[in-house]
Amino acid sequence: MWNHFGALLKKDVRMLVSGKFFLLALGFLLLYTAYVNLGYLRFMQMPPYHVYLYDPGGTQTQVSPLVQPVPSLEALDAALLEDANGVGLDASTGTVQLVLYRGAEGVDHHRADYALSLLGPDSSRLPQILGSNTPEQKARKEITCELLFFELAAVGFLGIAGVLFQEKGMGVIRVHGVLPLPKELFLLSKLAVFLLCDLGFAALLTLLNLGLLDGAAVLPAVLVQTAFLSLMMALVGLLCALLLKDFRQFTLAYLVIAIFAATPVFLSANTSVKLDWIGGHPFYHVYMGLKTAYFGGTVSPAYYLGAAGTVVLLFLMVRLAFRREMRKEG
Amino acid sequence: MIEVRNLTFAYGKGKQALHGLDFTVEDGEIFGFLGPNGSGKSTTQKILTGILKGHGGRVSLFGQDITTARSQAFFQTIGVLFEFPYLYANLSAVDNLNYFASFYPREQRRAVGEVLERLDLKPDAWHKPVASYSKGMRQRVSMARALISSPRLLFLDEPTSGLDPAGAVLFRSIIQQERAKGTTVFLTTHNMMDADLLCDRVAFIVGGRLVALDTPKQLKEEQSSRQVTVDYLYQGRRETRTLAAQALEAGLPFPCDELIGLHTQEPSLEDVFIQYTGRGLS
Repeated sequence: MWNHFGALLKKDVRMLVSGKFFLLALGFLLLYTAYVNLGYLRFMQMPPYHVYLYDPGGTQTQVSPLVQPVPSLEALDAALLEDANGVGLDASTGTVQLVLYRGAEGVDHHRADYALSLLGPDSSRLPQILGSNTPEQKARKEITCELLFFELAAVGFLGIAGVLFQEKGMGVIRVHGVLPLPKELFLLSKLAVFLLCDLGFAALLTLLNLGLLDGAAVLPAVLVQTAFLSLMMALVGLLCALLLKDFRQFTLAYLVIAIFAATPVFLSANTSVKLDWIGGHPFYHVYMGLKTAYFGGTVSPAYYLGAAGTVVLLFLMVRLAFRREMRKEG
Repeated sequence: MIEVRNLTFAYGKGKQALHGLDFTVEDGEIFGFLGPNGSGKSTTQKILTGILKGHGGRVSLFGQDITTARSQAFFQTIGVLFEFPYLYANLSAVDNLNYFASFYPREQRRAVGEVLERLDLKPDAWHKPVASYSKGMRQRVSMARALISSPRLLFLDEPTSGLDPAGAVLFRSIIQQERAKGTTVFLTTHNMMDADLLCDRVAFIVGGRLVALDTPKQLKEEQSSRQVTVDYLYQGRRETRTLAAQALEAGLPFPCDELIGLHTQEPSLEDVFIQYTGRGLS
């Protein structure tokens, strides 16, 4: 049986190589890493809004270095014209007047509070940091977790479905129906290849973006969560590829899964948007499991039980669809 | 080799595909299974190859009931050529054959090069991706895949489809060579010439029922009008007469200066099929 499994594995790897899957995965790894280190972290370290101060009388004595002084009211207008998100402070009359382009009411208040806070003593604004992560570590973990989830849920899912659609189109699934091998091996070898690929991807992405020490500390937990998500997404990809007629139909299903399934999870887990029903969303639990792996904490045994049950259930559904495909006419 | 008794199958309620088929295929026989599209040919073949489950009646292969025979050992003994050349298009002929052969015991496998040579696939194409092959070349590689494991029982679905006349002759010769080695062949086809030239016996299936089963020769004789058409010259004029074959036992029963030709009016296998079923094979 191991010989058969080896032959299937070798063939699946060749299919992926010829489909440039590994090259694509490597490209995504480099892209994500570049984004984290050259884009996201720099963006997070920048002040949220530029603040411009016109204070000809020098009435403000404890101005933060983040505030940019301007020499005239005309210069203040010109700065705000160029930077519509900036906040202008006009202290020429002795009291500070706020000047800004109107956005949304909540945002305007936030910008105003932030700008005025820069005119006070610095130490009074220092927040208490919870946990042991520095703001940079926290940002790195958050974005790495999001990118890994996106990669597994969207890109990997597309990859496995693409490979199976190719085999379905070539009709070779039907040939496996008359080969002397346990038919489940055909599915298991694909799952094994994608699982190994996803685990490798998760390990590299984590180590490259969190650093060796921080990365190694969270890696075992991250790999466990990656394994669950990878298996689930690979099985969903296989199921879609077996049930749907062609790749065009699949792209519609892909959009539904990518947009309607993943978007609420990201919104609910990473923003102030709270959805009452999100607890019933299976992806939310998987995403939170992955987030817990990055930030430390305990995952309930019920989650592991649920995740394992989902994998088994999906596998049984895929097996049924696979047997149906083998029986199909040319 | 194959014994089928009262075989029934339905694809769901009210979708009865087979209505009690009865036939046997002997060891080393080439058995033709002919019928129009949707007649139940593929369903029968799928049951015999162990792909389709849930049939009624009894089907046994190699003396063992098919419901208990779907083991790896069973699949090692059969070779299947599908109607379409199902191959990995991104792999070469050699890689395809090596891959499919790897699931069979080493002692059972034939050498890939030897099989490809026998199927007359040019060596310069062996290592090129199948995607670059013509339909006929793909069919040759598919046949090679079916033969690579030296099967005892060979299921062939439209084996000469997509081949040029020389390729069709080669395939027929290979099928006969396989039979000479003791391989049993179950041939599903629309091609009456293949059936006529290759098969020891043929079965006609229509609407899930067997309507005839016999040797091609016998089937044709049964439906024959036993008439002969004679072309001859008499007194400088060319004439044609059709008369009962028996009438020729004592020589030509009419005056004739020169005999040009004798044409038996025996029906073709396709004529016989139409007579049995009332419809053509398309």
